[in-house]
Amino acid sequence: MSPMWRAAALGRLGTMTSTTFQHSPTQPVVSMRRVSKIYGEGTGRVAALDEIDVDIHRGGFTAIMGPSGSGKSTFMNVAAGLDDVTSGEVMLAGQPVTHLGDDARTLLRRSEVGFIFQAFNLVPTLSAHENILLPFELAGRRVSAEEGRWIEHLVGTLGLAERISHRPSELSGGQQQRVAIARALASRPAIIFADEPTGNLDSRSSREVLTLLRTAAREYGQTIAMVSHDPVAASYADRILVIADGHLVGDHGPLTPQEISDLLIGFEVGAA
Amino acid sequence: MTGPNRNLTLGSLRELGTVGLVAGLCGAYAAVLIMTSSILTTMSEASGGSVGLLLGIVAGVFILIALYVGTVVIVGAVDTVISGRLRHIALLRLLGSRGRELRTSVMRSTAAVGGMGAVAGIVLGTLLTHLVRMVLVARDTLPEAEYALGDVQLVVAFVAITLSAMIAGWFGSRGILRVSPAAALAGTAAYTPAPHRTSVIRALLAGIGIVGGLAVLLLGAVVGESNPGAGFLLAFVGAAGSGTGFLIGARFVIPRVVATLSSVLGRDPSSVVARRNALLDPLRTTRSTMGLVIGVALVTTFASGMSALRESITSWELDPAQRAQADQVYEVTTIILICIIVISAIIAAVGFVSTMSLTVIQRHREIGLLRSLGFTRRQVRSMITKESVALSASAVVFGAVLGIVYGTAGAQSLVGAETAGLVWGMPVGALVGIAVAGVVLVLVSSQRPARRAVAVSPVEALRIDA
Repeated sequence: MSPMWRAAALGRLGTMTSTTFQHSPTQPVVSMRRVSKIYGEGTGRVAALDEIDVDIHRGGFTAIMGPSGSGKSTFMNVAAGLDDVTSGEVMLAGQPVTHLGDDARTLLRRSEVGFIFQAFNLVPTLSAHENILLPFELAGRRVSAEEGRWIEHLVGTLGLAERISHRPSELSGGQQQRVAIARALASRPAIIFADEPTGNLDSRSSREVLTLLRTAAREYGQTIAMVSHDPVAASYADRILVIADGHLVGDHGPLTPQEISDLLIGFEVGAA
Repeated sequence: MTGPNRNLTLGSLRELGTVGLVAGLCGAYAAVLIMTSSILTTMSEASGGSVGLLLGIVAGVFILIALYVGTVVIVGAVDTVISGRLRHIALLRLLGSRGRELRTSVMRSTAAVGGMGAVAGIVLGTLLTHLVRMVLVARDTLPEAEYALGDVQLVVAFVAITLSAMIAGWFGSRGILRVSPAAALAGTAAYTPAPHRTSVIRALLAGIGIVGGLAVLLLGAVVGESNPGAGFLLAFVGAAGSGTGFLIGARFVIPRVVATLSSVLGRDPSSVVARRNALLDPLRTTRSTMGLVIGVALVTTFASGMSALRESITSWELDPAQRAQADQVYEVTTIILICIIVISAIIAAVGFVSTMSLTVIQRHREIGLLRSLGFTRRQVRSMITKESVALSASAVVFGAVLGIVYGTAGAQSLVGAETAGLVWGMPVGALVGIAVAGVVLVLVSSQRPARRAVAVSPVEALRIDA
């Protein structure tokens, strides 16, 4: 990461409180209480999430890990208010998502949540710049001078300045992913959810993207929750949640890729 | 069995429903015109006249126009289906299908579906005509005679419709050739139009046709002041020339019209995305609206021409009896002409509705993304409606303007010598009718897709295999 960005970022930490997320800083950004998500009935009944209790606090970079079909994507969908729960309570940015209607949930996503998906992150008909500004446009508010400088800074740091007026189809996978990161960071949401953000990238672009996410968390105080099954990706996080068969089976601090690998293999072997 | 099964290339036959519907409409229309002219021929032979023959020729021209619009609509429908299945087609190519085989299979299925639609339409149209004939005979409006139950021309119509559907299938499936097998492995699920080379020759021909044709049309209107016969001939040549120019150059003209008109939609995100989608692929925009432009232009031309003629006649000095007779003749002729010509507009509207529905199905993932980023259901709905407004309003306005110019110039070239100055044909009734039809079209073409679009859950955007 460029030293310039570090300096600028540190200088900006003071302005991070200007986010619309106004509740107490000690309160978790995401809070799940006895959350279950059940698909199907009878013998076809599958509990994607089974009585999960977890809090995600401000400013951390959390990785949510687990084998395929463990329920980690469902975890993210539910935490982000994209999907309904079968039972339990989800609080997101101080609001009871489980009790909100579709419109209220949409408005909450608009102002408090940023998304980075594995692929197809960008609206194909909008340029990179328009994609980054979309959250502001949707909220119907003008980009303030200060926010404008912030976006310009992000675009410059992410190396997108020259490609800013291009359509997504004219960008490489890594560039598209960086535009998605810029969009997620631009409005300073309470939390950014990233779903396998490096799943479609080569190893160099992957490293870049993961370093960016870690920097955003450490230096901008940006809360990030990343779903991944890649031990290398998860090793960039400072908290690792492990989900298996709909249960939260592990809650760890930072680990090396090797340790994470061993941890996961342990679950696979244990399950067999 | 050569080449892959059609279901592999095109998915369910439901996706080809438009092809069947359009072929059916063409078939029913052709059957009504052919059987009507056959009945009139029988009738005039009984009373010694040649109305039937003349009608036969006129019917042929109108059927060809309907068939042309139908072909344009089918090309667009097939292209839309194909562009929504590019990844699937890429997979077939990866597994070893040749592009040519895939296209042949598309052609076979459009011919089959078109043929079935044509048979259904022709049978329905023939039955309908005979039913009306029997009622009219029973009421003594038509004389008793030996009316033929069918006509050889019905077979000709069937062959023509099936052939058109086949040719349209071939042209509509050009997209297949641009699919690289490697695309099956890539992660991009978004529809990106292939870059189209702009042909200089096409632009040149279109320019010559439009400019030259309009000049000749103007000349016809001027000459009509002194020599009606020569004037009308010139106007006809001019209209045909500029019309052909617009057809050749539609892909240059129509996207610009849509861009200009849709800029009034607004600056909010749903308007911006709607406008961009309406213009995403200039060729698709052209195809989905060209039929409408032609249909509306034809209807307006006749309505405007007849209204200009009528204006002229009212300025002449006629005794009341003559005036009443002339009025009645014009009223009846106008209604019959518009009824005959309106079918092209209806066929075009069917095509438009199906294109709108299909593009929304294909944009599931993009809509899911918009929802997860904070588009409310209302904004998604308004986005779909605005896209439909941008496209249909442009087609209707452009078609109506063309029609008024053609109709007025045509009438002027015919009766300019007997009327002072230029009489603009402003068929208020017909224009109001077209505007109402346009609003209905927007509602019909956006309701179902919009409902489908708001049902898309934000989770849709996260699916990897969309």
